[in-house]
Amino acid sequence: MRPYSFFCSVLLLGLVACAAEKQPRLPQLIGVAESLGKNDCAAVYPQGKRQFVHAIDFVMQGGSGTAVVGVTSLNGNNIACALVTVEGLTLFEAVFRHDESFKVKRAVPPFDAPEFATGLIGDIRAIFQPPPGHGNRGQLLLPAPAAGLTAVCRYKDPAGGVVDVLPDVGGCWQIRSYTPDGVLDRTIVGRSCREQGTGLIPDYIELKTYGRTGYTLKMTLIRADNVL
Amino acid sequence: MPAHVPHGLRITVCFFILLLVSSGRAAEQDALRLQSIQADFVQEKHLKILVRPLVSTGTLSFQAPQSLRWEYHTPVASVLLLHGGRAQKFIARDGQLVEDKGMGLDSMRVVLGQISSWLDGRFADSEMFRVSFADDRTVLLTPKQQALAGVISNIELKLADSKGLLDAVTIYEGPESYTRMTFSNRVLNKELPATVFTVQ
Repeated sequence: MRPYSFFCSVLLLGLVACAAEKQPRLPQLIGVAESLGKNDCAAVYPQGKRQFVHAIDFVMQGGSGTAVVGVTSLNGNNIACALVTVEGLTLFEAVFRHDESFKVKRAVPPFDAPEFATGLIGDIRAIFQPPPGHGNRGQLLLPAPAAGLTAVCRYKDPAGGVVDVLPDVGGCWQIRSYTPDGVLDRTIVGRSCREQGTGLIPDYIELKTYGRTGYTLKMTLIRADNVL
Repeated sequence: MPAHVPHGLRITVCFFILLLVSSGRAAEQDALRLQSIQADFVQEKHLKILVRPLVSTGTLSFQAPQSLRWEYHTPVASVLLLHGGRAQKFIARDGQLVEDKGMGLDSMRVVLGQISSWLDGRFADSEMFRVSFADDRTVLLTPKQQALAGVISNIELKLADSKGLLDAVTIYEGPESYTRMTFSNRVLNKELPATVFTVQ
């Protein structure tokens, strides 16, 4: 199989995010948090018109992978994004609208598969946009090494999936997604957060999916701009 | 270039060929025989959605006949090596350069023969590009193959005023997307140790 095709095939499969039996399960909330601490859950998500450029290191299970530059422009629920090679080739560019429709402006094979666009926007929305609906606030007991109680906003989607937003873990934030069966299928960990306006901008984000086709996106912030 | 060569690799190869196109022109005009080049480069990626261009910096080293080190320093450290008939790409991961095997670099060997043609100044018989001259210092390359034309609309080379060296390369992907590379601090025909073309 061609290496590039292999890369994309695994990526596409990974975006489906199969759940493994040994994955952590959805923890019970402990009580109700009167205060969410220093950071509210809303601070996890960028406000207004913003653009982020990240160096993205894509790592498959086993350690292989490749690096690209990712551009994400946010305007409410409308999102434009592009993936560019280090050498400057535009691999993928698309606009995703609030009504879930999208327009692919450029996609170099094999990034022209509709499933790739769908999976990509799933990851982008998970990082940059709050889950729909209202979250229930509570507390969670974090496992080691960050053992202790921490505030959480818990969102449930219509299909039964759950998203926990932890706005204050080690000075930054974390997002954990669970399948309708309560199995952890995606974690997003922000590190080295900087306060910018009412939000927290991580210098580093690590998105990890689990299961046999799991993958990791290591995203190092190159720059964050306001879009006029 | 064979149809199975990945697009990501194609454009990388194009960068190398572009350098050597200039060298070929130098060979024609000034009887300059290229042995080696070292230079710094600044790469600007222009894309409509970008608030401002994405700027990358790096260095390149080329030693005839087939040794190349193409290295990005910022914002994403990476190294592409061609040496001894072997092509490798490395990316920085957790502070160390690790080999990136995901880009089909075996195909690089296929185009090395073509690169040699450029070195000999035979840039008019390229299988990849139709070559034309807008003026004495501007070379335009238009892809011949449909597959490549879907990735690159055309390429413009700006030659320096002496020795046929390149001042800049602009690769147009479309009306709203292009990559411009400008070169500086060029050093010609300096003996380069083989260690330049390895990653320690």
